[in-house]
Amino acid sequence: MEDIQEILEDFLVEAFELIEQIDQNLVELENNPNDLELLNSIFRVAHTIKGSSSFLNFDVLTHLTHHMEDVLNKARRNELQLTPDVMDVVLESIDIMKALLHAIRDNGNDTSIGIDITDICTRLDAISNGENIPDSTAKEVTEKPRVIVQEEDSTDYSKMSDKDVEDEIERLLKVRKEEDKKRRENGGVTPVQQVSKIVIEKDEDEEEEDKPVERASASRKTESSGAATPPAKKDTASSMEQTIRVEVKRLDHLMNLIGELVLGKNRLLKIYDDVEERYEGEKFLEELNQVVSSISLVTTDLQIAVMKTRMLPIAKVFNKFPRMVRDLSRELGKSIELEISGEETELDKSIVEEIGDPLVHIIRNSCDHGVETADIRRAKGKSETGLIQLKAYNEGNNIVIEITDDGNGLDPDILRSKAIEKGMITEREADGMTDKEAFALIFRPALSTAKVVTNVSGRGVGMDVVKTNIEKLNGIIDVDSEVGQGTVIRLKIPLTLAIIQALLVGAQEEYYAIPLASVLETVRIPLDEIYTIEGKNVLRLRDEVLSLVRLSDIFGVKQVYEGGEHAYVVVIGLAEAKLGVVVDTLVGQEEIVIKSLGDYLQGIEGIAGATIRGDGRVTLIVDVAALMNLAKGISVDIRATSETAVKVKSVPSDYIVLAVDDSAMDRNIMKKSMEPIGVKVIEASNGQEALNMLKSSEYTIDAVLIDIEMPRMDGYTLASEIRKYSKYKNLPLIAVTSRTSKSDRLRGVESGMSEYITKPYSPEYLESVVRKNIKL
Amino acid sequence: MLFEKISNYKWGNAMNDKLNKIIEKQQKQIEEPHKKEDDVVQLVGFIIGQEEYAVPILSIQEIIKPIEYTRVPSVPSYILGVFNLRGSVIPLLDLRTKFKMEPAKVTEDTRYIVMKGKDNTAGFVIDRLTEAIRIKSSKIGPPPETIHADKGMVYGIGMREDNILTILKVESLLKRDF
Repeated sequence: MEDIQEILEDFLVEAFELIEQIDQNLVELENNPNDLELLNSIFRVAHTIKGSSSFLNFDVLTHLTHHMEDVLNKARRNELQLTPDVMDVVLESIDIMKALLHAIRDNGNDTSIGIDITDICTRLDAISNGENIPDSTAKEVTEKPRVIVQEEDSTDYSKMSDKDVEDEIERLLKVRKEEDKKRRENGGVTPVQQVSKIVIEKDEDEEEEDKPVERASASRKTESSGAATPPAKKDTASSMEQTIRVEVKRLDHLMNLIGELVLGKNRLLKIYDDVEERYEGEKFLEELNQVVSSISLVTTDLQIAVMKTRMLPIAKVFNKFPRMVRDLSRELGKSIELEISGEETELDKSIVEEIGDPLVHIIRNSCDHGVETADIRRAKGKSETGLIQLKAYNEGNNIVIEITDDGNGLDPDILRSKAIEKGMITEREADGMTDKEAFALIFRPALSTAKVVTNVSGRGVGMDVVKTNIEKLNGIIDVDSEVGQGTVIRLKIPLTLAIIQALLVGAQEEYYAIPLASVLETVRIPLDEIYTIEGKNVLRLRDEVLSLVRLSDIFGVKQVYEGGEHAYVVVIGLAEAKLGVVVDTLVGQEEIVIKSLGDYLQGIEGIAGATIRGDGRVTLIVDVAALMNLAKGISVDIRATSETAVKVKSVPSDYIVLAVDDSAMDRNIMKKSMEPIGVKVIEASNGQEALNMLKSSEYTIDAVLIDIEMPRMDGYTLASEIRKYSKYKNLPLIAVTSRTSKSDRLRGVESGMSEYITKPYSPEYLESVVRKNIKL
Repeated sequence: MLFEKISNYKWGNAMNDKLNKIIEKQQKQIEEPHKKEDDVVQLVGFIIGQEEYAVPILSIQEIIKPIEYTRVPSVPSYILGVFNLRGSVIPLLDLRTKFKMEPAKVTEDTRYIVMKGKDNTAGFVIDRLTEAIRIKSSKIGPPPETIHADKGMVYGIGMREDNILTILKVESLLKRDF
């Protein structure tokens, strides 16, 4: 059982690799119908799959590939001209072959999905017999019985014992050998012999000296065809000697380990900084510096090396497009050429898997809506053949994929009016829209500029798919277009997903990491440049209008600090959308390793994961896509809150004084002394408690009376802690203590006390000091 | 040949049966330790508010002193945030808030108990530890009907000489319920 399973897996891996190549080759072949090398390689694919599938008893597949082989064989011998019509049929048969292979991968057999191949076989036969291709509805009845007989023959391996399977394999081998023999006897030259013959003939024409060598290789090839191994396997094996197949799981594990290492490195760097500060000038520092730098260097190299093991050339995705464009251009009756460059650019495997779909949709769109028909193009004075360029290149830590067409271009006015028509935007919004913003409308679901819905596109779904997928990858979409000249769509995607560069920002007391790939720029703006439109804060940045939202409002961070006259705005972009996020501090750029929050906290809106910083603290990573969604629901006026916070206090009873003393009696005396002013007095029994009250922002405290000797946290510590908050830089801190020595007073000043009152004091004196300090 | 195969098969089957029985037995012991009369259950006791609670010692990964944690937005109030336990990011839950008690200040005795379940690991804030407890499973009764409603967080009530003990179900503590 397991042997068969293993063979089957090998077969599938090989087959999928082969068919990936075949599309590319076929389209090329259409352009150079006489390229024998190409024809041969295509033929080998069909042959290999036929051989393996008959061995594995996939009769439908065998049957199909057999017919394909016939046609290709004729083409190789120049008995058949590969016209586009013939190619259509061949390509279609390859599609069916793919479908069958998928079915085998998913179901373990090629019969259960019920693909009917009689029709395509008929047409293939017709081609190989040189007849006209019959209409696809025509059926040849004689083919049917043969398939059925073979189907009966197919055996259910799952019910067999090991011994039976062995017997079965033996039997199959025998059958196959006999088949081969028979075919040879029948004069039907086996394909591989044919290959070598052609090679020889060709070589005889061109280079006489090479003859012996070629003969030798020819005989070797014939030999290999005698054995059950298909020849193509040998070819691929020799070229793949230098590589090893590794399970993706192992690479993922390696990547995780590297992640831990990077965290360790960050930690080490941070510790080194601390140590450097403390032991400045010490000799061992230099040595430590050397070690830390070299470890950090090696870690970075290692990280890049491991990342590279997961990289695949984007050609893997690009390869399917020549075929697609060819099919589309025939279907649409347009002449379109596809130019691919930079296909060797590498991307992380997981990204390569995600990028295919969006590109399909973009290219389909370009073919269907972008490039005009030949008549229109001629009338416009363009060359009849439309050109679509697909380009990939690296840009910093990102890869850029550019899809350019020289077609019709996008008309921003039509987009605006369409969007208004569908009720997506108001007319006022449309008027305020720049052309770029109008282009971005194409990514809204259900918006299509196509006048007719074709089966290629026009339903307004495709570009929405593009947007969703690119968002998933933290990518950015940029659309540029000129009416009549064409459209450029640029996708900017981060190279890898596990270790990323991030911008660390502070929202009040909390820190968050924003993936740098999504950060477009950071700006510092005066608060009065923020405008309000329909209850939303916006900022005019150069020629764009950006929505603004405070990060602390999105994440419900308590407002501890008072914002100044200026605000830091991080402009984030994702897919086609942009948003200005107001943060309180910009910490800097750091390399971070994405860690999951675990099952328990999975899927929290707005949070993509967590990372551990150099100081060992956990910092949450912002999910930019979710953040943009959350921002829509927030309508806190950034300017209003900062103004009201300053304004409210007008009467003495609005003012709050915090009395911090461990003795309840002393607190009572303080309270009594302040009664004449009429301020509200709240109490705390130690420094820690007082600090928590200040931090919680439950009260806006206007002055603090502080006893020095207290449990848990003394007055000096409390004062210096309070001064750490920019919001409390000017908060009056009044020390009330029985310590009278000069050094005590000095320490009071050092820790940030604004006044120093010694016990015992008269109530009037305290009253006057408080009054003075809160300016009443 | 054939005979050997059959006997082999039989022997194998018998072995399997035996093994299965042992495994089943062990499974039962893990699942319902209080059914066995003389089994002793080892627990770790701790105080939240006024009451003493306990969890099986084997479900505790470690007990640590309070360390800094990072708040996580848009979660229920009993989830304080996440903290870094030697490189893993672990959620921190406040049992007081979860049990609808007033939140308390962190004191000298406050600890985080890191509990490990099948899929989840989480830290829980408790007021103070009491002791490791060995209790006969016969002394553990089912939770009273009235508590039953409380999402099944209580595994049973442990009867001790001078007090009673609420034994918590770790799996349901670790289950996300929002």
